Amino acid sequence: MLWYKGWLETRFRLLFALGCTGLVLFQLHLIPPDGKSKIFGILENLTPIILLMICAMLSGAGIVTQAPFQAKKGLQASTIFTLSLPVSRLRLLAVRAGLGWLEAAGAIGALCCAMWLISPALRMMTTPVEMLEYAGTLIACASAIYFLSVLLATFLDDVWRIWGTMIGVAAFWWISSHTPLPAFTNIFRAMGKSSPLIAHTTPWNAIAFSVALSAILLFAALRVVQAREY
Amino acid sequence: MTDFIVETSQLCKSFKSKEALRGLDLRVPVGSIFGFLGRNGAGKTTTIKTLLGLLRSDSGSAQVFGIPVTDADSTVGIRRRIGFVAEDKELYPYMTVKQIIRYTRPFFPQWRDDLAQRYLQMFELPPEGKIPNLSKGMRSKLMLLLAISRGAELLILDEPTDGLDPTAIEEVLRELVSIAASSGATIFFSSHQLAEVERIADQVGIIDQGRMIVSGSLDDMKARYQRLQVVFADRVEMPARWADGIASVRQDGRMVSILASHNADAIVEQAESIPGTTVERFPVTLKEIFLEHVRSN
Repeated sequence: MLWYKGWLETRFRLLFALGCTGLVLFQLHLIPPDGKSKIFGILENLTPIILLMICAMLSGAGIVTQAPFQAKKGLQASTIFTLSLPVSRLRLLAVRAGLGWLEAAGAIGALCCAMWLISPALRMMTTPVEMLEYAGTLIACASAIYFLSVLLATFLDDVWRIWGTMIGVAAFWWISSHTPLPAFTNIFRAMGKSSPLIAHTTPWNAIAFSVALSAILLFAALRVVQAREY
Repeated sequence: MTDFIVETSQLCKSFKSKEALRGLDLRVPVGSIFGFLGRNGAGKTTTIKTLLGLLRSDSGSAQVFGIPVTDADSTVGIRRRIGFVAEDKELYPYMTVKQIIRYTRPFFPQWRDDLAQRYLQMFELPPEGKIPNLSKGMRSKLMLLLAISRGAELLILDEPTDGLDPTAIEEVLRELVSIAASSGATIFFSSHQLAEVERIADQVGIIDQGRMIVSGSLDDMKARYQRLQVVFADRVEMPARWADGIASVRQDGRMVSILASHNADAIVEQAESIPGTTVERFPVTLKEIFLEHVRSN
């Protein structure tokens, strides 16, 4: 039933996330079949921003994590009722974060399918396998953004969490782009310039880095939730 | 399991500089209706949250069903056997009455569909009504339905009648007594409505500044406590030292009003030994006991 509750909490956010993908599709739709460079522009710049929005939207609502002073109204006001149920906090967080991640992954998958169907230019420059690899890369790399937002949801309210996610992602992007860190730490590059659609190789190192980072962020979120008092 | 379904010993809990619980000793007998009384900020809700694993105590111990309450995850088994009504009466704003019943049901193996149906009708709750559209009183009723239908061995109710109209309060109190009688469930409830507590509770605990100041059977308490009215014939000549058991003394002209917490017979005997005095005994209400203890603490 926790999945059912999570679905009721996120269904409109999922709708909004799918709406956001429409922006990418609309831009792709406008590109003529020979507009390869314009497609690269969309893949490098617009798509990561849309993924950030999707992750930020779907990681919030109803995560049973916030402190009581933030839990006075809206979705969080019912936190005490949720916590009085015979369910461990690990399960509460895992189900809610898991559902949001599945929805985000579904939205990204739907975006990639629609991109393939809608853009003749994209179909000409890539194979279906590359498109599949691209979707997998986006999902894996966006997971780090998603779980950063989940962690922030454990101590920030919804509005501040979204701002925090954006600031955190911008800071991470700047650090990974402007400091001599290993290239695989730049997950934004892996979603754009080094993605299977543009570089025609799968950025396995960046994917592994993002998955490891996601696991650390989820673990940190769990520790916060287990330690929290309500 | 011991004779107590809830037992705390020297339970302490602080929030930054504020001490909410200062060595709370609480014992709730199995099968009792226990009225948990105290002023605002006395530590009632902190106690309840600690018992449910929502808060961790700083020191001391707490047991529910004989199981130590340590942290949130170790109390999952305890919460499965508890029906709970929170003070704030907040539920999911995106669900209907029917949806939240359907949602809550699978968490509790002893869930009673018959009770859920019965209270749905008795409380006139609209199954398709959205929770934000319900009045506070209706939300209180819905929370009671969700708590009672769990088939719980222990009902922990934080201000259960808050927001209810007098008719609904009457219904709820009657049902609580009926549940305790028919299922043998223990009911532990906090309330500011002393008249309600006096009507249904058989055990009472008064908490003040994080400590239990009075606890025990309400009947015993009412038998022990007496208001003694001593009228002096001429001028008031109080004894240098009253017998043990005086909770408070108030003088109004030639009349002295004494609240005896125990040993009333000896106090009456002492008062009657003063020449020219007449002594009358009056029963006391729970309200008087409560106010006297809270004032003197």
